[in-house]
Order: sequence, then C-alpha cells, then structure tokens
Amino acid sequence: MELKSIKDAFDRVATKQKLSYNKTNEIVHMLSQEIDKALSIIKESPSDTVLDHRSIISDVKKAFVGIAPVTQLEAAEKELHVALTKYPKVLEKQLNPDISKAYRNNAEFDTHIVNQIIANFFYRQGMFDIGDCFVAETGESECSTRQSFVEMYQILEAMKRRDLEPALNWAVLNSDKLKQARSDLEMKLHSLHFLEIAQGKNSKEAINYARKHIATFADSCLPEIQKLMCSLLWNRKLDKSPYSEFLSPALWNNAVKELTRQYCNLLGESSESPLNITVAAGTQTLPVLLKYMNVMANKKLDWQTMEQLPVDAQLSEEFQFHSVFVCPVSKEQSSDENPPMMMSCGHVLCKQTINKMSKNGSKSSFKCPYCPTDVDISRCRQLHF
Amino acid sequence: MEIDTVTNGNSDAVMTETAPTITPSPVVPSSRSSQLTESLKLEHQLLRVPFEHYKKTIRANHRSFEKEVSTVVSSVGDLADSDWSKDATVSRLTSLVSRLQGLKRKLEEGSNVENLQAQRCRARIDHLDSVDVENITEWNNTKLKRILVDYMLRMSYFETATKLSESSNILDLVDIDIFREAKKVIDALKNREVASALTWCADNKTRLKKSKSKFEFQLRLQEFIEMVRVDTAESYKQAISYARKHLAPWGATHMNELQHVLATLAFKSTTECSKYKVLFELRQWDVLVNQFKQEFCKLYGMTMEPLLNIYLQAGLSALKTPYGFEEGCTKEDPLSQENFRKLALPLPFSKQHHSKLVCYISKELMDTENPPQVLPNGYVYSTKALKEMAEKNGGRITCPRTGFACDYTELVKAYIS
Ligand SMILES: [Zn+2]
Ligand SMILES: [Zn+2]
Repeated sequence: MELKSIKDAFDRVATKQKLSYNKTNEIVHMLSQEIDKALSIIKESPSDTVLDHRSIISDVKKAFVGIAPVTQLEAAEKELHVALTKYPKVLEKQLNPDISKAYRNNAEFDTHIVNQIIANFFYRQGMFDIGDCFVAETGESECSTRQSFVEMYQILEAMKRRDLEPALNWAVLNSDKLKQARSDLEMKLHSLHFLEIAQGKNSKEAINYARKHIATFADSCLPEIQKLMCSLLWNRKLDKSPYSEFLSPALWNNAVKELTRQYCNLLGESSESPLNITVAAGTQTLPVLLKYMNVMANKKLDWQTMEQLPVDAQLSEEFQFHSVFVCPVSKEQSSDENPPMMMSCGHVLCKQTINKMSKNGSKSSFKCPYCPTDVDISRCRQLHF
Repeated sequence: MEIDTVTNGNSDAVMTETAPTITPSPVVPSSRSSQLTESLKLEHQLLRVPFEHYKKTIRANHRSFEKEVSTVVSSVGDLADSDWSKDATVSRLTSLVSRLQGLKRKLEEGSNVENLQAQRCRARIDHLDSVDVENITEWNNTKLKRILVDYMLRMSYFETATKLSESSNILDLVDIDIFREAKKVIDALKNREVASALTWCADNKTRLKKSKSKFEFQLRLQEFIEMVRVDTAESYKQAISYARKHLAPWGATHMNELQHVLATLAFKSTTECSKYKVLFELRQWDVLVNQFKQEFCKLYGMTMEPLLNIYLQAGLSALKTPYGFEEGCTKEDPLSQENFRKLALPLPFSKQHHSKLVCYISKELMDTENPPQVLPNGYVYSTKALKEMAEKNGGRITCPRTGFACDYTELVKAYIS
C-alpha cells in the first residue's frame, strides 16, 4: 500500500479546489467591477438622455460576454472534477474497498448480546460515565460486573497514589483463591509496602512489618525475602546498592498488572478485554480472509456455510490460548478420537496416521517418516498437551 | 537473579528482567510491519466517507455559484434590452452589485466549509500515517473506539457516540454529522413521512441514478399506497393523478412492480389477498428504512454492516476452537465468555496448518527455544516450567493435572514438526 499516492491524489483535489475557488472569486470580482464602473459613469454623467445610460449598459453586457463567466466556471469545475473522480479510484486501488466481502450474512448478531459486550468493555476499561450513558441509551439492563469494576478501579487509583491499603485488603481477603491461582500478588504487595516503610528510613518498623506479614511467605519466596531484608543495610542509599531494582517503578506497574489480572480472573473475566482481543484478532484475520475471497471469487456460496475457515489466519502468539496439534503427515488437527501419539524416537503423529502406517496393527513396527528409527507400535503413547 | 523463581512462571510477574531471550527469528519485525500494512488496508471507509462528504459540498456549492453568476449575467442582458429610466437603471445595477457582494460572502462561507472538510480528510490520512510498531497498542485502542462509534452511529446511539468521541479526542476520525443527516430521514420514515427521504433523493439524484437505485420509486409507491389506504372517492382520484405524475416515469424500467402496485386500486387495505395484503402492511415502512440505510451507506462508501460486526465475525472465527467451549477453558480466551460463545456459535471454526503448543503451566509457547517434555504419564509441559519446578523441589516433578510424580531425569523430549 502506498499512503503517499493517496496523499498526492488528495493534494491534487485540494489544489484544484483552491484554483476553482480563486477563479470564481476572480469572476465575481470582475463582474462587480464592470457594474461599479458603469454605475459611476451613469451617476456622473450630467445629461439625462436615455440613450446615454443604455449604451453604457450595453458596454457592460459586451464586457460580460468577453469575460464569459459561465464558460470559465465550467472549465474550472471540469479540472476539479477530474481530481475528484481520481481520488476514490486511488483509494480503491490502494485499500480494500469492501471488507464486508468476508462477512457472513447468515450469522446475524443478537444486538442485545453485542450491547452487553460493549457495556462490559466500558466498565472494565474504567469508563464508567460512558458505560452508564450507553446502558441508558440502549435500554439494556444494568451490567452485573459494574460494581466490581468500580471497586477494582478504586484499588488501582489508590495504588497510583502509592496507597496500598485497599489493594492489600483485597488480597488478604482473597488470599486462598490467589494461592490457588498460583499468584504471588500478596507477597508482591507486602514487599512494596515493606520497601515504602524502609524508604521512610524506619528500619525497625520495616522489620516489624516483615515479621508480621512477610515471614509467612518463607515457603515459596525465601530468596526474595532474603533480598528484601538485606536491602535494609543500604536503606540510605538504595539507589547505589545491589538492590537498586527495588526503586524501579516497574515493580509498581507489575503489581498493578497482576492485580488487574487476578481481580478479573476471580470475576471470571480475562485479564485483557475480550472485546479488544477479538477485534485485534479480527484485524489480523480479515486481510487473510479477503485475500482468500479474492482468489476464490466464485466459491462465495461455500463461505456462507463452511464449518471451518478455509485458511489459517496465522494469528500471533498472544492469541494462542490452547495447544493445537496438527499431525505433520495427515495435516489433521488432533481430537479426542484422534489424539497425538509419540513414537519411541520422540516424533509425534496422530493416532490415525500411526494406524495407517502400521496397516491397522498388522505390522508390529514401521519406519518413522522423520528419522531412521524403526518404530515399535506397542511403545507409542498418547500425549496430553 | 533468583528473584525470578518466585514468580511461578507468571511471565508478567517477573520483577526484574532476566537475560534477554533470544529472538526466535529475524523475520518477526518485518512480518509485524507487513501485518500492520495489511491492517491499514482495511481502513477504506475511514478515508472514503469524509471525502464523499467533501465532494458533495464542493458540487453543491459550485452549482449554486454557477446559477447565481448566470442570473446576474442574464439580468444585465435584460437590462440592456429594456427602456428603463436612468434612476431605475441605477437602482437595478445597485441591486446587482449587492447581489454579487452576497455571492462573494457565500463563496467565502462555502470555501470555509470545504476547507474544514478537506482538513478532516487530511487528518484521517495523517492518522493512518502516524501508526508504527511502537505506538501500535495505543493506535489499536483508538481503532477499537472508532469501530464502536461507527456501531453506535448506525444504531442511532448518538449520545454515547458523541460522548465517547469527545472524551477520546477522535471527533475528526468519526462521522457523527453524516449520520445525523441520515437520522433525520430515518426518523421521518418511522413517522411514515416520505418528504425528507424524497428531498434526500433529489439532493443525490445524479449518484442514485448512476447506481440504478430505485429507492425513490419505492418511496413514491409507498406514498401512492397511503392514498389508496384512505379509501375515499377523493383519495382514489388523488392516487391516480399522483401515479400519472410520479410513478409512470418509472414504467420504462420497472413495469412489473408498477403494475403490481397499481392493482391495489382494485383492492382495499383490508384485502385478504396475501399478495396485496402485504403491500398495505405497516412494516413496509421498516423495509423503506432499511432500504434507505443501504442506499446511504453505498453513497458514502461505507460497509453495509457495522464495522464492529465484521471485525468480530472474523476475530471470533479465528479464535474459535473446540477447546474454547470446554469446561475449565482458560478465562483468557474470549470464547470462554458466555456472550462471545453465543456470537461465535454460527461461525466457522479456525484452521491451523501447524502445531502450536502452549505450556499448561507457564502459558508460554513451546518451541525449539523452550521444547516440550513428556512425563511418563504422557502429559507434556515446557522445559522451562519443568526445570523451574525441579529446581525448587530437589529434582522432583509433580504433574499439576494428575498429581503423578517422577524425577526430572525421567522426562523425554518430544519432537513436534
Ligand atoms: Zn495424522
Ligand atoms: Zn522419528
């Protein structure tokens, strides 16, 4: 795509528009001048003969014919017209003129569901005003997650002010669930609090805090506790110590991220907005689909009914939420009926392929298609990703 | 750097940077930027709509200037051919002068409007130009908001659309004013008035003709049917003369429809004949509303569907796997959410040509950098996660899904091609 050719084409439109404006202006000016001139001559002429002013008017008329204003205007418009017609053509050439070619008409969305998704999006982004406005305008029922997100943003706002209390309260209240989720959020928050106290130059209070709140994490976080305690030795010049990392704002950012993630997960939500993820995935997928549609222009009917996309959208890593095993021989995605199997050499194929290669078990061994190993069927085993 | 080991494989939770991981391949940045280019190509509507608006203004202004100028020219011609007294001539000329002054003012105003619209076109080109690999996250957030505003405008949620655009500072990137124009017509049609729709047709006559639109014909037919519906001798007379004037010209191209509708003269609005009953149904007005929306979108170069629906469909299909519908599916997958599942139901599943394995423990991709290892029970995890577990537990591994325990030395590498 050439953004430059789009820019150039638009510049041409703008230039011609200016020219056309100037031309019109000039013509109006000339016409005014002719009439003004005639007016002053008529007014100044002493005689009151009809003939006199009539001849002046007919001079004006002649002058107008000479200026040919309408013809001039038409000519200016013609030039502008060329530029105006060209620009959309450039757009159509450089961009995808109709992305709805990849749209399935028989899969209309339920407006209520889409509206609920949008309302939830506004709330989880902390855009409460807009969420409320949207809910009122659409007449959808109040979003069940609103209050929870209000609380989450209160905690996050407090953290921005370096006030950890609401965050700690929440983490302690949900301590068990956080452990279950294998999150170290509680420890992270306590560490931050400990460092805040230590920064206030109060080592004794910091030690007391550590005894009370941090010691309980010794099982899982011993090395970190050692570092925290050791950092007390440098508390007057932590920036020049081996522990200068404890001053990094990244610690706070990470804690904020982890809190958001855990808070959302406990709500049954993803840590990133699902709407954001889906639209981003759509942005990656649409060009692939459109390319396919262009190549397969005559297979449009299939598109409306197919049960699997005809192409691999090749989404980037961040959209890979599940392990997908594709057998390198049969190119089939594995399933419960056709699970992935590892051969003795470590190469992995799907069960159907292995059955085929062993002639449904009639051969007790076969050669691995990827290495020289003779594969013993009894030693193939199913994998769970 | 032992501090990393407390993070339980939670990659975001890493407190300090570990040694830089080796980039899998140098292709990544270039594929990112080509992905970016491809995604910009989806923005046709963003550039096209304000341009169509701009073009319309230019054309309308030009037409009115041309008309005004030729009026002045012909007035002078008339003046030259007549016998006015000197005073009358002076007063005529004076009025022409002020007329030209008025035109000058109009020209100025018109040009200001045109310039504003040109600015908007340019702002959008610049917006596309401004994106790069560094600011892509923020740019995409703006994009999502643009898409949401587009959805709301099509659904006539003007208040939220305006609020969101103002608070996100994207007024130049959305088409609120254009949709307000449509809303006037839609509201009128919902009140069963065709007048503003007909005005709209007249304003866009050339373009509608070019696209062989029969929207105006449909409006006229509806107006005719409303006359028949009244069911008085007077209204029938009125209907017939209306048909002569406004419907007959369409006969050349739409004879069948014309005959079909004119036959309503023989029926009453209470007719049971299903073919004609439907013409009298009030939902014909909804059909007109939809028809108008389509004509409107076509005229401005918009997609018929809200952008949101197009993006969501594509995204949901690409994310749709059988795993997303399973109990206990990770919450990070949008398809784990009830509402997204419902939307995805009629859509096709994704297709993957190559294996992509995600470690159950660390959620990281298992590839040659971080290869999958198999426990004796057949469960597979990433080397990184297993190593970390072994380091913490004196070389012992416990399968988090089955509780099966073994030594790190019992693991074997799996080769996935
Ligand atoms: Zn296979
Ligand atoms: Zn092998």
